[in-house]
Amino acid sequence: MSRISLRLRVNSDRYDALVEPHWTLLQVLRGPLGLTGTKENCLEAECGVCTVLLDGRAVNSCILLAALCEDRDILTVEGLGRPGKLHPLQQAFIDHGAAQCGYCTPGMLLTAKSYLDEHKGVVPDPDAVREAIAGTLCRCTGYQKIVEAIRAAAAALKEEP
Amino acid sequence: MPRTNRFAVAGRRLPRLDAPAKVTGSQVYGADVVVPGMLWGKVLRSPLPSALIRHVDPRPALAIDGVRAVVTAADVPPVRYGPAVKDMTALARDRVRYIGEPIAAVAAITLEIAERAAAAIAVEFDLLPAVFDPEQALLPEAPLVHPGWADYAALPVLARRGNLASRSCIRHGDVAAAFARCFRVYEHRFTTPVVHAGYTEPRAATARWEGDGSLTVWTNGQLPYEVQATLAEILQLPVSRIRVLVPGTGGGFGGKLRIALEHHAALLARACGRPVKLIATCEEELTAAHPRQSSIVELRTGVSRDGLLLAKQARVVMDCGAYAGSGPGTAAVALQIVAGPYRTPNLLLEGLAVYTNKVPTGSFRATAGPMGNFAIESQMDMIADDLDIDPLELRLNNAVRDGDTGPAGEPLQAVSVAECLQKAADAIGWRERRPGSGRGKGIACGWWMTTGGSSEATVKLNPDGTATLGSGAVELGTGALTGACQVLAEELGLPLQAIRLAAVDTDAMPYDYGAQGSRTAFSVGNAARAAAAELRRRVASVAARRFGVAPDRVTLEDGHAVADADRLPLAEIARLIQASGEGLTASGHFLSPPPPHDPARVENHPLPAWNTPSFHAHAAEVAVDPETGEITVQRYVVAQDVGFAINPAGIEGQIEGGVAQGLGQALSEEIVFAEGRVVNPTLTDYKMPTAMDVPPIESIFVEEASTAGPFGAKGVGEPPSIEPLATVANAVAAATGVRITDAPITAEKILRRLDQQE
Repeated sequence: MSRISLRLRVNSDRYDALVEPHWTLLQVLRGPLGLTGTKENCLEAECGVCTVLLDGRAVNSCILLAALCEDRDILTVEGLGRPGKLHPLQQAFIDHGAAQCGYCTPGMLLTAKSYLDEHKGVVPDPDAVREAIAGTLCRCTGYQKIVEAIRAAAAALKEEP
Repeated sequence: MPRTNRFAVAGRRLPRLDAPAKVTGSQVYGADVVVPGMLWGKVLRSPLPSALIRHVDPRPALAIDGVRAVVTAADVPPVRYGPAVKDMTALARDRVRYIGEPIAAVAAITLEIAERAAAAIAVEFDLLPAVFDPEQALLPEAPLVHPGWADYAALPVLARRGNLASRSCIRHGDVAAAFARCFRVYEHRFTTPVVHAGYTEPRAATARWEGDGSLTVWTNGQLPYEVQATLAEILQLPVSRIRVLVPGTGGGFGGKLRIALEHHAALLARACGRPVKLIATCEEELTAAHPRQSSIVELRTGVSRDGLLLAKQARVVMDCGAYAGSGPGTAAVALQIVAGPYRTPNLLLEGLAVYTNKVPTGSFRATAGPMGNFAIESQMDMIADDLDIDPLELRLNNAVRDGDTGPAGEPLQAVSVAECLQKAADAIGWRERRPGSGRGKGIACGWWMTTGGSSEATVKLNPDGTATLGSGAVELGTGALTGACQVLAEELGLPLQAIRLAAVDTDAMPYDYGAQGSRTAFSVGNAARAAAAELRRRVASVAARRFGVAPDRVTLEDGHAVADADRLPLAEIARLIQASGEGLTASGHFLSPPPPHDPARVENHPLPAWNTPSFHAHAAEVAVDPETGEITVQRYVVAQDVGFAINPAGIEGQIEGGVAQGLGQALSEEIVFAEGRVVNPTLTDYKMPTAMDVPPIESIFVEEASTAGPFGAKGVGEPPSIEPLATVANAVAAATGVRITDAPITAEKILRRLDQQE
């Protein structure tokens, strides 16, 4: 199959990627772009570890055609913080022991960011957080420390100017 | 309740060392490995559960553009391997024994081409009779899964015959005589299904042959030294010619103990002269990985009028699938589990591992724990109900105490099961056991080992005054290696942030029995302590010369060697040692010997007495909807004896995660087979708990110090997944009066039974 050139904007960086037309965003991120922070597992949008933000909204990159993402804003875990300054969600995941094996962590962080961005200025109750992250499986933590971390990050973000 | 802690680093609630890498996406996992020039591999798997292979024709695959190699059994030395019974081959030779068994493997320039090529390989079969039920497999007329079983090498301790891969026994006293004297004798049968460890990172392997003919393998497996040894067997290479690296592992839970794709990657890479990577699909994980055995436990228990256990007889059947895998060990360890943390003067316990034509099984967190515990702890509640004794009281009256002996006659020390039971009961509010209609509370207790096996560690003092821990144990995600680093930091008078953990590489890291069996923080921690003691001796000697004092006056505090008013930074001491040549790297080793036992009580048991056992009790409150049968776990409490909590936050994480896995097994997880075929090989149909399914979990630490563990620690990682199944079963029975003895405990089963009662 002949490859096509795609203009992608990932973490504010511009890429011209040569891809197979049927490749998913996940394949392009992890393959030609080398952004392996976004994880792969089920490839059927069941586990959520591949979650990234597309124009600010959480999507499963494993079932999203890369060609549909041209000229749109993609945020992966590599772009969540800045060098030397972690995003409050990242800091909270460290402080609360919310990452164990860490394989679901990138997807969890971006799912949580999408949710908190939609609910600015609110510290959500634990049940709301559990519902928000229910699409991302974690097998290590039992979710409790993830819920605590997301709520702590919400509180920290609320205090930010 | 605040704990008192005499240590600066050990026992502290500190962030794990690998957390920053994991929240920024910079942690590299086995599935992320990319090697220049790498090709992709794909395995062709058997579509039949039992058949002779008449012919394999790789030519249609080789004809596809982009295919670089096809390997079949004809390309592999005729080697059988396996942890207990050497019954497995890298690729099926002459015969397939389960749907999903590897027959051939393909390497191609893209994964898509490899997949297409694997499907194009032509295989001709002659169907053979199959057996799927382990009890039928034990009948004399059953087809043999391994007609050549008698020729296989196996651990000498195992007793095998035909489809019986092993039989282990523990016995003492006289159960027949005791049953005759009992006030009541209870007989029940319990079953549990095959479940998957459910690690989020699929198994992956990348192999490259080097110019000198040696092999490098990157994997996300749990046991790099076992991968190395197994590859050496399969490839007929000296062990030292194989280097195994584990950059990072996205969960294991026992499911990544055994060789997975590493041999296929190595065979393909050799055939095509290029590095090859394989990664398991979700379907391969759920149909052809190493899931937990399904089990049948038949349990006969005799009691006195006041509920004292007088005799227990059990027959445990573990269905190990087409290859023995961890089945023999699991069936044997089930016997300690069904004995339970109870005084029982007469025992006759038999554990069988049985071959069937289904996916071969492995180990999953606490191997036989959930299955055996489900049986005995469900039955304890059934006995309590029948005798009209409170289930907590029945357990407390029978619980083992310090100075008792275990099932194999081994002395028990630091026993805390009664304390765990009491604390869990208090926290759940046991006095109000049925708080309302459709609501109920359940309790269950158990015990588990801290697995032995040796650990070696190196500790290197760096010129900046920090230290690096070297270990061959893999950080699976448990935080156990951060725990070992806390132990090391404590011993060296350094903050945790001054400890660096070296990457796992069999060329560079010392041997370790591996990240398994709740042993990692315990055993690596002790090896690190031994290495630290040696390093401290050298530091003290150098500092003492500088201070002009005796070496025994020197202590390590806050990154300094200190003697009275004299202080010298470790960085400066490191430079002095570099100059003096005493060596900046010290090593230590550790092996926890098992306690002595009575050999007359055990037959063919590979693990007759447990090292440093831990004790635990769980309690839950559930609500059951009478209209739908839906079960909601509302609260969950764990009281676990951890000996000494090296990192309380990390241990809470182990408890919370283990309970979530246990709740999955209790309520929703089951690999469903029809004639040997998995019918639910997706994560939609294999239902693991989401954040909405797991209740708040309260962790209570009991710290009854062990003599062998670092600062008194006991193994922590596996126990939390043992008791949830029985705890939920007991809570559901309290809520509804319905006793489910076949896991999982689903709404459908509850509703059917509620309808029958009406």
